[in-house]
Amino acid sequence: MTSEFYVLIIGYIFGFYMAWNIGANDVANSMASAVGAKAITIRQAIFIAGILNIVGATFIGTHVTNTIRKGIVSTEILADPHLALIGALSALLASALWVSFATWRSLPVSTTHSIVGAMIGFGIVAGGFSVINWGKLAAVVMSWVISPVFSLVIGFTMFKTITKLILSKKDPFTWSMKLSPFFIGTAFFVIVLSFLFKTPLGKKLAVGTAMALYIALLLSIGLGFLGMKMLRRYIRKSESSGEEDIFRRIQIGTSCYVALAQGANDVANAIGPLAVIYFLVKTGEVGERVPVPVFLLLFGGIGIACGIAMAGHRVMDTIGRKITTLTNTRGFSVDFAAATTVLVASKLGLPVSTTHAAVGGVMGVGIARGLEAVNFRIIFQIIVYWILTVPAAAITSIIIFKILQLFL
Amino acid sequence: MRIPFLSMFITSPFEGIQEHAEKVKECAWVFQRAIECIIEEKCEDFEHFRKDIDKIEDEADAIKRRIRGHLPKGTLLAVDKFQLFRYLREQDKVLDAVEEGLDWLSFRSAAGIPEVLEKDFMLLVEAVMDPIEELSKMVSEARKYFSNFSEPQRRLVKNMIHTLRQHEHEADKLEDNIKEKIFNTIDDPVAVFHLIRLTEIIGSIADHAENAGDMMRSMVAK
Repeated sequence: MTSEFYVLIIGYIFGFYMAWNIGANDVANSMASAVGAKAITIRQAIFIAGILNIVGATFIGTHVTNTIRKGIVSTEILADPHLALIGALSALLASALWVSFATWRSLPVSTTHSIVGAMIGFGIVAGGFSVINWGKLAAVVMSWVISPVFSLVIGFTMFKTITKLILSKKDPFTWSMKLSPFFIGTAFFVIVLSFLFKTPLGKKLAVGTAMALYIALLLSIGLGFLGMKMLRRYIRKSESSGEEDIFRRIQIGTSCYVALAQGANDVANAIGPLAVIYFLVKTGEVGERVPVPVFLLLFGGIGIACGIAMAGHRVMDTIGRKITTLTNTRGFSVDFAAATTVLVASKLGLPVSTTHAAVGGVMGVGIARGLEAVNFRIIFQIIVYWILTVPAAAITSIIIFKILQLFL
Repeated sequence: MRIPFLSMFITSPFEGIQEHAEKVKECAWVFQRAIECIIEEKCEDFEHFRKDIDKIEDEADAIKRRIRGHLPKGTLLAVDKFQLFRYLREQDKVLDAVEEGLDWLSFRSAAGIPEVLEKDFMLLVEAVMDPIEELSKMVSEARKYFSNFSEPQRRLVKNMIHTLRQHEHEADKLEDNIKEKIFNTIDDPVAVFHLIRLTEIIGSIADHAENAGDMMRSMVAK
């Protein structure tokens, strides 16, 4: 029992380390466009990202945790609690190390892919190739392709809509004010729906699909108009203020939206394996389904927030100086695309990467000719690291597993 | 620290094009002063002006190369990449024509410009200055259009292109007048050849500015 207690402590440390890495590595995705478009300052960005990552992780973040843990690797290998314990530990450490390495070498990897790769490594070493659910893995790989594409389509559509309905109009300011409830409302619609479906909070309310849609629709209409009222109060029409000013305010909201989605989605990467360790230590076995305790999610959220707080400043500073061509309407489109993609995908139980969603969003706006210059080739770089991340994390995980087996 | 998200954003080529347009304008001012100098008989600074223009041309060339060299494959711009290059080439030709004009003049600088034609040449130079100044304004207004896609802004750019065309037309008329006058007043065949060619080169400055405007028109097309 005592040795297992130590294992749990080590698990917490590794889990925190992984969460920290997620925060340090992914903060750019949620806040880059807002900081780049000068909607918020660096300080505000770090604060917002930190708080909302915790909120997102704690309240929306449960569903994905299950999929990563049990979808790809068959539960057979968890039958032996001792092996499962070592496996979860090595997967956690392996993915954290790989993400650290990637952050250090500035490689565009995804924390989600790292943990998936590490889990596969553990599965292979513990039960051979047969325990890997290749069909499920293929679905996950597909979702990596789908998420940037989905995000790209949303970003493209959103920016085209803004161009058509607002920018090309004679009086863009008035039009953007008039249509602001629509933009604000749509964001809230997705958020409210994610809250209502499959979160502990939503389960307690126990509403049906139709009811949930109805509630979300009503709430988002209400909040959309409330948002417009607030915009009207804060922004007066004048010579200097235009449609971009309105979108600057809205963008503060959407960057919150991204941070929330990010917390909900990414916390699973650190907490999934930690939850396995936690249950093994507490109960001695892991069932088909692990209900992740809220305090673990909170723990992961805080880990992410710490990573953001410590590494965020440098990242944001670079972003603020480098991205100068992003205006608020573009930033809004990017944010909206990324967050919607991540929230929808995480609700479907697909492990998507916020990096890829953000990249997809920028590309969507780029294809809509919204940016003076975007380098598309990053997509090839990303594909290379997609392919590289999974085996790299898997091999690291196998090595750590073998080493840990000697001690435990 | 390199962030994957950041590597998507590269320096906008429009910044370079704007800079290049400024160089063209600068060059045109020097050209105008050089022509005035030639006309004022005792021109000692002429070589100095030529060197100035050479220097500006070099700088503009560097900008042009920088724009072309820093657009990696797979870059997505607000406009088609080759449209942009075509525009840049035309804008560069304006500069080349200015340089060529001065060079051509220098080959026979001792003779200068005959007194009867002085006024006409001054007018012609003045006439080609307008489109050049319009060019850099047009670039900055077009950039604004690419950022806000507003219809009034697009119309503004289109109007500027239209003005450019009118300037070119006026310069054309002046060019024809000078040519006619050269043939009817100058008897020395060498001088005629020199002056006719000079007129054509100066006239071509406005032509290239107009062409640049046409390229811009296709870039702001919906």
